[in-house]
Amino acid sequence: MLALQAKDLLVSARIDGATVPAIRALSFDLPAGKILGLVGESGAGKSMVGRAIAQLLPAGFEITSGSLLFEGQDLARIGAQFDEHLARLGDGSRSARRDRAVAMLTAARLPRAVELLTQYPHQLSGGMCQRVLIALAFSSDPRLVIADEPTTALDVTMHPPILKLIADMQRAHGTAVIFITHDLRLAAQLCDQVTVMYAGRAVESGPARAVLSTPAHPYTRCLQLANPSMRAERRALYVMPDQMPSLRQLKNLSGCHFAPRCPVVTEECRRDEPPNIAVAADHHAACIRAAATRTIAAMAGDSVTTGAVGRPLLQVEALQKHYTAGGGLFAAARTIAAVKQATFSIAENEFVALVGENGSGKSTIAKMLVGLESPTAGKILLNGEDLAEPALRSRARRAASLQMVFQDPQSALNPRRRVASIVTQAMEAGSRHASWDERLARTRELLAEVGLSTDFAARLPGQLSGGQRQRINIARALCTLPKILVADEIVSGLDVSIQAQLLNLLARLRAELGFAMLFISHDLSVVRHLCSRVLVMYGGEIVEEGAVEKVFADPQHAHTRALLSSVPPDEPEAAWPPLA
Amino acid sequence: MARALSRSLRSPRVLIALGMIFCFAFCAVFAGWIAPHDPGDQNLLAILQPPAWASGGDLNYPLGTDSLGRCVLSRLIFGARTAMLVALLASLGAMIIGTILAHVSGYFGGAIDWLIGRLVDVWMSFPPVILSLILMVGLGIGLSKVILAIVLVDWTRFCRVLRSEVLIVTRHDYVAAARLLGFSHWQTIVREVLPATTPLLITLISLEMAIAVVVEAILSFIGLGVGANTPAWGQMIADARQYVYQSPWNLLLPIFAIFLTVTAFNLLGDGLRRTLDVRLAETGR
Repeated sequence: MLALQAKDLLVSARIDGATVPAIRALSFDLPAGKILGLVGESGAGKSMVGRAIAQLLPAGFEITSGSLLFEGQDLARIGAQFDEHLARLGDGSRSARRDRAVAMLTAARLPRAVELLTQYPHQLSGGMCQRVLIALAFSSDPRLVIADEPTTALDVTMHPPILKLIADMQRAHGTAVIFITHDLRLAAQLCDQVTVMYAGRAVESGPARAVLSTPAHPYTRCLQLANPSMRAERRALYVMPDQMPSLRQLKNLSGCHFAPRCPVVTEECRRDEPPNIAVAADHHAACIRAAATRTIAAMAGDSVTTGAVGRPLLQVEALQKHYTAGGGLFAAARTIAAVKQATFSIAENEFVALVGENGSGKSTIAKMLVGLESPTAGKILLNGEDLAEPALRSRARRAASLQMVFQDPQSALNPRRRVASIVTQAMEAGSRHASWDERLARTRELLAEVGLSTDFAARLPGQLSGGQRQRINIARALCTLPKILVADEIVSGLDVSIQAQLLNLLARLRAELGFAMLFISHDLSVVRHLCSRVLVMYGGEIVEEGAVEKVFADPQHAHTRALLSSVPPDEPEAAWPPLA
Repeated sequence: MARALSRSLRSPRVLIALGMIFCFAFCAVFAGWIAPHDPGDQNLLAILQPPAWASGGDLNYPLGTDSLGRCVLSRLIFGARTAMLVALLASLGAMIIGTILAHVSGYFGGAIDWLIGRLVDVWMSFPPVILSLILMVGLGIGLSKVILAIVLVDWTRFCRVLRSEVLIVTRHDYVAAARLLGFSHWQTIVREVLPATTPLLITLISLEMAIAVVVEAILSFIGLGVGANTPAWGQMIADARQYVYQSPWNLLLPIFAIFLTVTAFNLLGDGLRRTLDVRLAETGR
């Protein structure tokens, strides 16, 4: 029996008085007890599908044609039954309800379920909160659960247990699940069926492993090639030009929406919207060039060359940072060690990765390096000179040699400054006053470096996309030609295709300008692609250090092994131990 | 900022308010030319005359005369000068003190934030009218003393509201980035933080102007204001109170003038808040 069936679903949005199709011609069959993966980058419309099913569409969006059938009934007409079902959950005596809650939490493998009942959400960790939510979702024994990026906000080491929990609960209850994710590798492991979405349309759908091992749509193939590999030999990333059209741009588009970024595009693609074509049993792609998809390969010119590593540039010795928390009139202050002990060095032209969970002290180290926090103990030596020495304390000298690229470009760019003023902001610091002509000239150079055209100079950050903002963020840090960049999770908020553009940009900039980088990340495949050495942090200490290839092939510390095993394998057919 | 300002100038609230304030300001600046009489000239033969349109009115005194035979219209016009002067200077003074302390407090945090925060707490625990009365008794009467008293009482209003805004702005990475690029603390506050708090600042000034007009009227009403020789609306109300049955107009007209001014400033403040505050402007409320 089918748990959910979508037939030619069309969800339209009203934007600036015009009606734009946010989701077009979406059809899928989800059998009872199966997992359907909706895969795509942000803005593809996958979350909107989830919201359409849950009847939680935002204001201005509505289902204009097509149907969503839940167990054969039109979803629009079963709202009342749904409410009734929810009301029944509250039946029974107080102790019966309590027992039921404890049973639910225990089933979600939460320890001390009885104590948990009296706690507030902020007293739980992120992983525990997610377990409670999963317990809640499955508590009424539903026939359909929609999981929208359930692991994205969690630490990587929490991903496998949470996914395992969803898979186990789904199997135990025989529930159909719609699993929304941006991660192709994960979808291949967890889902039975996948539907890849691009700009509101399902571009490819079929059995998960078939779709992801032999993708028929160029977009699916490009996405795979844009993702750095975890185990295979280091290869160049495929870079799709430009970005996905936004809802606003959709109304002016004709033909295949992927055509402007497609490597195998033909004239016909730009003219007509492609039909859904069956490429194998149960495997469809909205592409007339499906046969050419397998010929797409990453360009050799983009390959990552690690380059020659020079003499040691930055040395960090026994660095410590303690915070005092609480304390006041009535409470004694507690000391929290954010960084217990950190000793490492970075050589000229070397990209060193710093990986670890949230709260392991990665960002604290970054802040101490650039001088936003002062160390409790330990030394930071730049070119052999201690940065704490009074002579080196001057901000101007530090600014010229050490710069930071911030994680969230939204917050890191002043919304009131224009791009030209942001990227050359270093030139107005202190008592130096560069003329506006000098600054414009430097702006042009920097924009060219980061691959943006000169007319970006007059724009405000609000007029840029996420990827463009991050480029401006990098350009600003490069203005003074620093010797070391500290980059805190600079690609983690970005889509895979934009991430590939930025990773290639960083590799090219290193070749052109020559700088070292401390690259803080939780994404091990990105680290493996970009960096030559890795430092693994756990609980405020560096627990493992070494060449990337060596550490990844033969991890010594338990935490490194946990981090490595939390990434699903590249090959869709390979088994992933945590889910097995 | 420029976009937000042009958006403000299209808002009907702001336009109406600015029109009204322009009229008052015009009266205040050109009082000497517009007023038909000197505000201090007494005509004891024509005391408590009704306005020109009422029976017994005289066109020579369009809004009638008070108990000493002074021209009510002239006194209202010169009173506008007092009210506008107090509104402008007192709110600017309060803004300067409050803004500096708010930025220092919110930007640096820590002990200095604690100190300024407690100072504001203690200051605000005095009832404002009582505090200004005590100050006036201590300072003596006069226009500059009224302004000083209002500044000393109302800087806390700016300080408290702005401090929380500064805290929010300072948490943005671009403020840290400015420091890393070599900006001094002073440069960071002036070039990165202040532009972000300016919309709120402008809104607060226009609301403070309304408050300053009311406080000046109260102080003048009880005789601890600008002094008997300077015409002020509060004084006119106090004078007219004794003859309210003979000539109610003398009481109603200055009250109406205060009402119009305060409404104009509040309308301006509300209009600016709606259009300058990005969060409110974008949700279309």
